Amino acid sequence: MNALRALAKKPWFGPLLALIVVYLLFLMWTPDTFARPITLITMARQTVVVGTAAVGMTLVILLGGIDLSVGSLVALTTVITARLLQNGMSAASAAMVGIFAATAIGAINGGLIVGLRVTPFLITLGTMSILRGAAKGLADEQKIDAPTRGLEMLMTTGPNRSWMIVPPGVWTTLLLAGIFAAVLHFTVFGKHAKAVGSNERTARLAGIQVGRIKVYTYAIAGFLAGIAGIFELSTLTVGDPTDSIGLELSVIASVVIGGGSLAGGQGSIVGALLGALLMTVIRTGSTQVGLPNWVQEILTGAIIIVATGIDSARQRKPA
Amino acid sequence: MITRRNFVIGSGVSLVLTACGGQGSGSGGGGKTLKIAVVPKGTTHEFWKAVHAGAVKASKELGVEIVWKGPLKEDDLKQQIEVVQSFVAQGVSGIVLAPLNDKGLVPAVNEAKQANIPVVIFDSDLQGDAYTSFVATDNVAAGKLAGERMGKLLGGKGKVMVLRYQEGSASTQLREKGFLEAVKGMSEIQVVSDNQYGGATTESAFAASENLLVSLKAAEGGVNGIFCPNESTTFGMLLALEKSGLAGKVKFVGFDASDKLVDGLNAGKIDGLVLQNPFRMGELAVQTMTKHLKGEKVDKRIDTGARVVDKESMNDPEVKALLKPDLTKWLGQ
Repeated sequence: MNALRALAKKPWFGPLLALIVVYLLFLMWTPDTFARPITLITMARQTVVVGTAAVGMTLVILLGGIDLSVGSLVALTTVITARLLQNGMSAASAAMVGIFAATAIGAINGGLIVGLRVTPFLITLGTMSILRGAAKGLADEQKIDAPTRGLEMLMTTGPNRSWMIVPPGVWTTLLLAGIFAAVLHFTVFGKHAKAVGSNERTARLAGIQVGRIKVYTYAIAGFLAGIAGIFELSTLTVGDPTDSIGLELSVIASVVIGGGSLAGGQGSIVGALLGALLMTVIRTGSTQVGLPNWVQEILTGAIIIVATGIDSARQRKPA
Repeated sequence: MITRRNFVIGSGVSLVLTACGGQGSGSGGGGKTLKIAVVPKGTTHEFWKAVHAGAVKASKELGVEIVWKGPLKEDDLKQQIEVVQSFVAQGVSGIVLAPLNDKGLVPAVNEAKQANIPVVIFDSDLQGDAYTSFVATDNVAAGKLAGERMGKLLGGKGKVMVLRYQEGSASTQLREKGFLEAVKGMSEIQVVSDNQYGGATTESAFAASENLLVSLKAAEGGVNGIFCPNESTTFGMLLALEKSGLAGKVKFVGFDASDKLVDGLNAGKIDGLVLQNPFRMGELAVQTMTKHLKGEKVDKRIDTGARVVDKESMNDPEVKALLKPDLTKWLGQ
């Protein structure tokens, strides 16, 4: 009983419960297809981009910030990488340059927030538009048809690699989530980031270098958005400057469903991944059941509100 | 609770069963209702509503179930890929798809093929040959129609020009090619310009049209006939003709329809519009998939037809159905 109570206190318990309930509902609706292994693998695969970006967004929200530019940054990464592939660069080098560029842009986001003392909402609202424009310019306002040179294998197991169960991209996402969860719990940086998010003034008085922590955190978010961009390119097989418009909202929703607080100081990487998975389950379920798009949009919004509402009520109740 | 209808086809009797779930949707015919996923490029534009209505008509007549599902955001490539992946995972009987990108959808269609789910492509082409059939307007033939009409309008004699749409746009390039082939076959017709592009928007097409009309001295009879290969170039050219007072004086054939273009046709400023048939496209795509699933042979390329509409034929019931398809009947809106 105590163990159960301890479990219920975990920030990811709420989203896990929501995920199970929603999954079971769709399973009852389409019992013959929703439990098929291929459906489960497809859902895992379709969660990778939002999931990876949500790991970064968890850190940013924990810090009391927000990053609205993540969708544009994912699109820009697909464009940069596709351009390099088009110019003959190998998949590994092109991906690394793409990720490096995204990391640098994340650091610039952080630098502007710290340097100009403007709220993250406004700075990243600006960079959201700047990066989108840059992606369109770099792509000559069209999709870039580049040879993917094996990059597409990140998102598929293929016939010969079924031992992997899920595509390498899914494993990479889980690994990254594990690494950054460990960073958050076990390093000085993680403790400082939480302190800044809980109370910035106290953290400053305690001698924490708040500015530096912020720049690092946005750089990490950029790094993860860059990796998400590589996964996106692997799925699209073309560099797409109009890709991922509105992705930031799915990413933020995942973090918030996962127990993150927009006021800062709270957030769970495991919860965010579960939140991202929840939204994929709704999307896949809606498609397989044959719900019209407008119903699916209403349903997604309603589930976000219910999930975060239950979580908020659960936290208020004394355990 | 969902109720599904299960029609037994072939005997001419339709046996209606109601069942709740549990019916399966594996590929192949048998006694099961075929479930065909229809994936358009978007769900809100008029064009796709007409395709939807056509698909519904075919599904009702053939007794198959269709699931209509496009990307949530109009023209979102990633979402369209994910929709196709979900249908493959679900194991629908077949997928009918209008690919947003001729390369981006290739892996998803390959996955469908590996899972033994046939894919019929419609509206726009896809690279490779993993699909069963391609159902769309034959754009060369549609361009030829426009060229032949132009020849008739000019009495087989005169100076014509084409305002092209955009480099790298396959469908319009084929229409331009068909038009030029048709008019070049007429000995007394001279092509005075065929290398100018209108660009992506009505504004850019308008600017290009104005420049062309001036440089070719259209007002002094330098041009007798004009062809534009899509809606935006046609509309841009119409505006330029109106502005320079040439509307109605120069013979003008355009492509596709919008309310503004139909008004232009009515006012005698446009002499002909080539219309595609999205309703027929949706209908033929679902019919083709159903035939294939029942083991019949289908053609790799199926033309959904196009026709030239002018002021006289505008009020034919058939043309009216093209200009304003009866969506209510099939979509119940």
